[in-house]
Amino acid sequence: MQPYELSLAAAADAIRERRLSPVELADSVLQRIAQMQPRLQAYVTISAERARRAAREAEREIVAGRHRGPLHGIPMGLKDLIDVAGTPTTASSQVRAGHLARTDSTVATRLAQAGAVLLGKTHTHEFAYGLTTPQTHNAWDTDRIAGGSSGGSAVAVAAGMATFALGTDTGGSIRVPSALNGVVGLKPTYGLIPRHGVTSLSWSLDHVGPITRTVEDAALVLTALTALTGHDPQDAASLDFASLDAASPTTPAADYRPTADPDLTGLRVGVPRNYYFDHTDPEVEDSVRQAINRLQALGARLVEVEIPMTRYIQATQWALMVPEATAYHEGTLRTVPELYQADVRTLLEAGELMPAGDYLRAQRSRTLMRQEWTRLLRQVDVIAAPTIPATAVKAGQETITWADGTVEGVSDAYVRLSSPANITGIPSLSIPVGQDTAGLPIGMQLLGRPLGERVLLRIGHAYEQTLEAMISL
Amino acid sequence: MSAAQPTPPEVARWAARAGLHLPADRHTEVAAVANHISSVVEILRELDFGDTPPAIAYRAGQEIPDAAV
Repeated sequence: MQPYELSLAAAADAIRERRLSPVELADSVLQRIAQMQPRLQAYVTISAERARRAAREAEREIVAGRHRGPLHGIPMGLKDLIDVAGTPTTASSQVRAGHLARTDSTVATRLAQAGAVLLGKTHTHEFAYGLTTPQTHNAWDTDRIAGGSSGGSAVAVAAGMATFALGTDTGGSIRVPSALNGVVGLKPTYGLIPRHGVTSLSWSLDHVGPITRTVEDAALVLTALTALTGHDPQDAASLDFASLDAASPTTPAADYRPTADPDLTGLRVGVPRNYYFDHTDPEVEDSVRQAINRLQALGARLVEVEIPMTRYIQATQWALMVPEATAYHEGTLRTVPELYQADVRTLLEAGELMPAGDYLRAQRSRTLMRQEWTRLLRQVDVIAAPTIPATAVKAGQETITWADGTVEGVSDAYVRLSSPANITGIPSLSIPVGQDTAGLPIGMQLLGRPLGERVLLRIGHAYEQTLEAMISL
Repeated sequence: MSAAQPTPPEVARWAARAGLHLPADRHTEVAAVANHISSVVEILRELDFGDTPPAIAYRAGQEIPDAAV
């Protein structure tokens, strides 16, 4: 096994035990990037020299006995919406030509403090306003879409071009590309990870989170990003940990790393009887139901649940996101509209026409939806469901036709099962649970209570362990 | 599309009122997308909100969780 193939946890153990140097690891991943970037186009910019410098510095510190933790010397990519001082944040857009970030985003600061090594910036659908990331190709089949908007980050992790990456998620943009490329994506609870220095798509729906190859790796990155430093005064939505009950199981953890025990006895897993399996490809449904049955075999109790207010999910998502996105781009939409890609420009312009009444109705709908989901999550500990209703479509395909003849836009289909967690703010973890007959990855999401990341990571890790056990048989 | 939805010239006037000048060659495309968005979000009018206040953004900790794990 080459170093670029190692999980974060395995690489961290090898570095801590001096079996692997951060320089060797960075060189291996950079070689892999050089090999795969021409085919996959995961990165906007690759900072090879900066990465090698940081890896040498990490090696010096570790040799000197100053090991900072599991991310020390680990190479990673950042979605190119995330500011790193002295480098451009392009948002994969001509609108940002000449941009240079003056300061680090909070997440870049926290990763630097943890000793992670920045490889470069990964492609996003322009300004995160789309679900395909057309510049980038799927890691499993280059004729198919990467998914988006964090397509570059997911492809980089899937292809060994980064040991982990960060993405952002406004309607599924971490989980959708993670599912389409067979990796793990975590959209944490709204406000858990500060967004200061991260280009916004829609303030009230935006999240930052990790994309990794294992659930344990996601836990390690989440630990570094939350770092119990709590409230970031530069992000009004950032949670103040001090105001939360320290004894509560849903208070942010000092260490999210899941225990090795795969026993899920006592956990109640909600299985939706509506919405999540409607207009879902039969192969996706089969894989997800098999994964849910495996959770049951690990001791979890399955409980059928009714998803509330499903008729209003898409309307609420759109009526929140569209005007917020247009507001963020108000200035450049008037000065340099021609620099936007056609799809994004039209959406932003159309957003100028949404009445305030629509936006307020969506905010009131969010209140109702949050109340209903709170009630739902009293019945069960988590809900298990498909992340996406279909695997990666061919590049250029615009619609999906379902068995009953219904035609749905590709982006609408991909966002459909993800957006409830953005509207309600609850955490959602997407994990790979199989492949369809074309060999394309299928994802299952676990949705939990607010700040219930530990439960999601515990269940996801237990599921992964059963897979490892099966492979080793 | 419902009869109440604006025509391309009306969309251009509304955009201008919002301070956005739309070139003539964009009126039809923007009107089509704006009207599609409107047709999706108008369903929220069905909801009986009563005294429900708007949720500006989500705040964790507002709920009273009773997690068992």
